[in-house]
Amino acid sequence: MNEIADLTIPAPKRSALNIIARHLAIFLALISAWEISCRLEWLDPLFFPYPSSILEGFWRLYITQGNIWSHLGLTMFAVIVGFTAGSVLGVGLAICVGMSDRLRRYLKPYVIVLEATPRIAIGPVIIAAFGFGWTSKTAIVMLVCFFAPFVNTLNGMISVDRDKVEMFRSMGASRIQTFSKLLLPSALPEISAGLRLAMASALGGALVAEFIASNAGLGVLITQYTGTLNMASAFVCVLTLSALGYFIFRGMEAVDRFIIFWADRDRIEAVGRKRLAAWHSRLGDRP
Amino acid sequence: MMDRLSVHLQSLFKHLIVFACVIALWEGAAAVGLVDVILLPPPHAIAGSIWDLYVENRTIYRHFTITFYEAFAGFLIGGAFGLALAVGSSLNDSFRRYVSPYAIVLNVTPGLALTPIVIAWFGFGYSSKIALGAIVCFFPIFVNTLIALSRTDGDTLEMFQSMGASKGQVFWKLRVPAALPMIFAGFKIAITTALVGAVVAEFSQATAGIGVLMQRLSFALDMSGAIAALLSMSLLGLILFTIIEIIDDRVVFWRRGSRMEAVSRRRLARWKTSAGSSSGKPIGRK
Repeated sequence: MNEIADLTIPAPKRSALNIIARHLAIFLALISAWEISCRLEWLDPLFFPYPSSILEGFWRLYITQGNIWSHLGLTMFAVIVGFTAGSVLGVGLAICVGMSDRLRRYLKPYVIVLEATPRIAIGPVIIAAFGFGWTSKTAIVMLVCFFAPFVNTLNGMISVDRDKVEMFRSMGASRIQTFSKLLLPSALPEISAGLRLAMASALGGALVAEFIASNAGLGVLITQYTGTLNMASAFVCVLTLSALGYFIFRGMEAVDRFIIFWADRDRIEAVGRKRLAAWHSRLGDRP
Repeated sequence: MMDRLSVHLQSLFKHLIVFACVIALWEGAAAVGLVDVILLPPPHAIAGSIWDLYVENRTIYRHFTITFYEAFAGFLIGGAFGLALAVGSSLNDSFRRYVSPYAIVLNVTPGLALTPIVIAWFGFGYSSKIALGAIVCFFPIFVNTLIALSRTDGDTLEMFQSMGASKGQVFWKLRVPAALPMIFAGFKIAITTALVGAVVAEFSQATAGIGVLMQRLSFALDMSGAIAALLSMSLLGLILFTIIEIIDDRVVFWRRGSRMEAVSRRRLARWKTSAGSSSGKPIGRK
């Protein structure tokens, strides 16, 4: 019966707490159901580890053994370097292509073919080319991170309002002005969506590279643990990846909100006020 | 008419010339020695491998169908789960509130990270590839369906309610048709991710499939063969995508003018015959 109240009353403090408590209760119930069914051997504990042993695994991997840190660092290094290189290359190339109508027309079919290819699938070819070390891992991440920003940036620049372009031209804006004041701002939401897609796939790309051939990294750790049927530790690694993914996701959202301030009402007001103040002070201190 | 055709032909011709130039450049660079022939084989070697794989050896067809089947089955299973949970969440708010945290956790986990665990659970055969494909393609379908179903035009909803539509009618006649385009957009994303899931699982552990074929070829440093397999993978992705697109075109018939006309003509004809048979009394539905 509380359900209906929850829905109609616009979130007083008590009901928010209430919701959290109920979420927790359901979560605990699920976990204990899992634990009990493992203890009663309805689920094979060899393949489905006890939640308690997963918790123990966290303690072991992070503190007593502490062996996860170096692998985590290596994977994150590949992800960050690859993501930066790939997305900068993707956005930059798309801007170059987007400025020229003719180049865009000739490149389009190739982009379509590349889009249809599952990018991670290029993994074995790249590993054969670059070897087993971190270069091939970074190269795969770079490749995975290249396409979404590239395609989205191109799309964003193509779908600019024609009338606005016309207006810019009729008022004698230079190419650079058209780009920085019109094309870039209107493409930014799509660009950041592309970057978010790239970030989401970057982690996957690094892991796949490690699954195929590598000697260190979280992917290797997961493969080793599952290979020795130490499932609890493998789960610890996967949950670590979930947490990482969550923070990356949230971080990208925050960056998004900062750059594309006009999509958010509060932010647009704040930025508008700041710009107004700056403008007034430049005109000579009139309020 | 002729004009448009000639313009089309002309642009096709230009594209072909550009393509030929690129190929010639590549071939020349390989011949001179600017490109390492082992790592990046010249185009004629790739063409030779394609001929080999498809016509002479004919090894690829078996791998091709296996991967196709794995990806499609994974898509169907993941899609069924995604659709069911999304419809449930859109109908019932408290269900949605309790499901969504788990869906988010599943989303932020790189699904491919589960590969070794899924293989340990489901074994080395097809089932692990299908399961990984299903896990990977669950979320795009879930989130697109949920957003599409909960984003209904308020005015239309009001009209439905003021005309006394039941809950089922609102769902089937308003929410579902309005949501279909976006649901299909989710399907299109999901089918390619399902293919990626299947291929990655094959990279890890498998005996047959296009991923295995490619891995074998590239580890034997037969790069032209590996690139031929990669191109076949693109072809597979295009085929899967096109299947969804054709279904999309049939189901969301109101998006394209010509399809819309054809369907409405057919419906009109059916309506006329049924109205004629039941003594001229018009029937409300359809």
